Amino acid sequence: MKLLLTIAWRNILRHKGKSLVIGIILFTGAFLMTVGNGVISGMAAGVEKNIINGFMGDIVLVSDAQKSDNILLNMMGSSIEPINSYKKIKEVLAAQPYVRHYLPVGKNLAMVLDENSDTPGFAYLIGVDFAEYRKMFPDNFTVIEGSYPARGERALLFPDFARGEFFNYYNIWFVPEGGRLVKENLSKEALAAINTLQVSSSAVMLGMSSGINTTSDIRFPVRGIIRYGALNKIFGHFCLVDIESYRECLGYFTAADMAAQVPKEEKQLLGLEGSDLDSLFGGDSMIVSGYKKAPLKIKAKKIVISNTEDGTYNAVFIKLNPGVTYKDALAKLNKALSEAGTGVHAAPWSKASGPMGSMALIIKSALFIFVTLLFCVAVIIIVNTLTMSALERASELGMMRAVGAHKTFIAGMFLGETAILSSVFGGGGILAGILAVRLIPLFRITTANDMLQILYGGNYFNPLLSLSGVLLTVFQLLVVTVIAALYPMRVAGNITPLDAISRD
Amino acid sequence: MNIIEIRDLKKDYPLGDTIVPALRGVDLTVAAGDFMSIIGPSGSGKTTLLNVIGCIDLATAGSVKVGGREITALDDRQITDIRLNKIGFIFQTFNLIPVLDVIENVEFPLLLMKRPAAEARRRADKLIEEVGLKEYAAHRPSELSGGQRQRVAIARALVTNPDIILADEPTANLDSVTGASILELMRRMNEIEKTTFIFSTHDANVLKYARRIVRIKDGLIEKEPVAA
Repeated sequence: MKLLLTIAWRNILRHKGKSLVIGIILFTGAFLMTVGNGVISGMAAGVEKNIINGFMGDIVLVSDAQKSDNILLNMMGSSIEPINSYKKIKEVLAAQPYVRHYLPVGKNLAMVLDENSDTPGFAYLIGVDFAEYRKMFPDNFTVIEGSYPARGERALLFPDFARGEFFNYYNIWFVPEGGRLVKENLSKEALAAINTLQVSSSAVMLGMSSGINTTSDIRFPVRGIIRYGALNKIFGHFCLVDIESYRECLGYFTAADMAAQVPKEEKQLLGLEGSDLDSLFGGDSMIVSGYKKAPLKIKAKKIVISNTEDGTYNAVFIKLNPGVTYKDALAKLNKALSEAGTGVHAAPWSKASGPMGSMALIIKSALFIFVTLLFCVAVIIIVNTLTMSALERASELGMMRAVGAHKTFIAGMFLGETAILSSVFGGGGILAGILAVRLIPLFRITTANDMLQILYGGNYFNPLLSLSGVLLTVFQLLVVTVIAALYPMRVAGNITPLDAISRD
Repeated sequence: MNIIEIRDLKKDYPLGDTIVPALRGVDLTVAAGDFMSIIGPSGSGKTTLLNVIGCIDLATAGSVKVGGREITALDDRQITDIRLNKIGFIFQTFNLIPVLDVIENVEFPLLLMKRPAAEARRRADKLIEEVGLKEYAAHRPSELSGGQRQRVAIARALVTNPDIILADEPTANLDSVTGASILELMRRMNEIEKTTFIFSTHDANVLKYARRIVRIKDGLIEKEPVAA
């Protein structure tokens, strides 16, 4: 081995030009592979941190009646089917050991009405129990004005990004109830128009749900202005509202409806006179049209409901325990939900988030293809250079064979040369790549592009390299080395002693 | 005792659609410890004969026994082992490993045989001294003259104590004085190490060093002339 490595090392020094060419390719390849893996890891970590842990969990339950699993960034106007079987769903989820958290939510589009404007605005609403929401997503946003609503409170949390957009279109600047104008939070446009700024502490919203003509306009008091920690330009379109107001806005059954005695005239309107109301929510024969209730012209009620779980939802966000195999969990959960007759199914976050998930997958795939192409190009160039080197050294190699060197020795010598080059230059490339991955976040490279934010894994470019990422790069380099050396090794091994003589 | 026994050896080379016969039925025996020269004009088949004896080239037909072992039916691994353990080579163009210095070139075959490094170094040192290159031990081949390189090649050929040393025109690239000194050295080593030497040449001046001369012409052995 010592002899083999000695010859290999001295050959590298003897053929400095060729060695340098191969070395530069290996260095560049290893550097780009390391950074590429860092970007992929950073993106995966960013997606996990910002989308899964910060916005919607790993899995989303949607109604079987739902045409598309994309419930988050769906086309404006296409409504999300209601779920009225949460009690059953909850029982199923509680029995799954791989489920860590779950949160039922309402999600639909609402029209924002303004008496001063003929053109309504639109807002995505996410109806939640605020206390439960905070347990599921404890630090995904900051309340920059106002405060976080108390449990059961009727309230709206308005994202600052949507606030700026609303101002641009409708000239209204939302501030929390009892709050004041915070100059440093004003957008550039709002600041320019500060003297004529129309300020509002509530928003009147009319739920939009296809097939329902019984939605109500609800005045939501703005409790706070929020800013998401990451991907604010995407998540900042979603207003958080309390689930009961949300249900009223969308014309869904509320928990209050379920807790209160339903008046006879309402039962008549619902066609429920004489029927068992509980069976409506527990029975398998539940049909979509059955969830609608009659128009009640409800304005945001002041009733505080401690348990809001009895009403209608649109989705359930689920977080899995760490280390759980995603596909297995999805399959098991779907089986359990189907067996329990819940009328819902589990969709992966990537599908439920629509273009955001698809874009994350596309970007990840593109990066993977880029790294693979890089890998192939490096292999081809190294194979070519080493093969030429083997043929040029046919006389020397043939002589070695003549004095008793086996094919394996010659092949080993070539592998040794490639391995030394890989270790020195490839190792250098990996170290430089690690350094670059560590340095890049310090520059806080930001982007205004929403999709690039997904690539960045957050608001700024933040590639990440774990030990496993480094080991993956080392493994890739090892594979490049072995594949690149295979053909030249074969060529060199097949050089016969006769070649040494015939080329003299 | 015969170290080499050749019977009806034929070797053909394909040249496009034609077959060119290089050896056309050679019969030859070589006794152990001999110092034999194969002579003949260019293209007579002497290099081919040496190549087949040295397991560098394969016979088309016939029988070749080296040290009593038939070599025409062996696989590459077995043939390589014979080259390593039984045969030493001295080439016309020296063929040293350019990245190794003199001592490393000489001990190279021993290291291939997986002999302990210290033992290999001792043996190489001894042979370098015998060929008169002790002070050049740390030099690379590119720093040596042609004659010095051929001395290194002789030391390398002898280092494994082979049964046979084959030398293909060992003096062809040397001036006459250096060539003579190389042949003197080979003859001396033959006497010291008792190794069989077979060398090819077409230089009539070389013949005086040989104890036995085999003349080859058109791929056939001619009647042996009287040795010098």
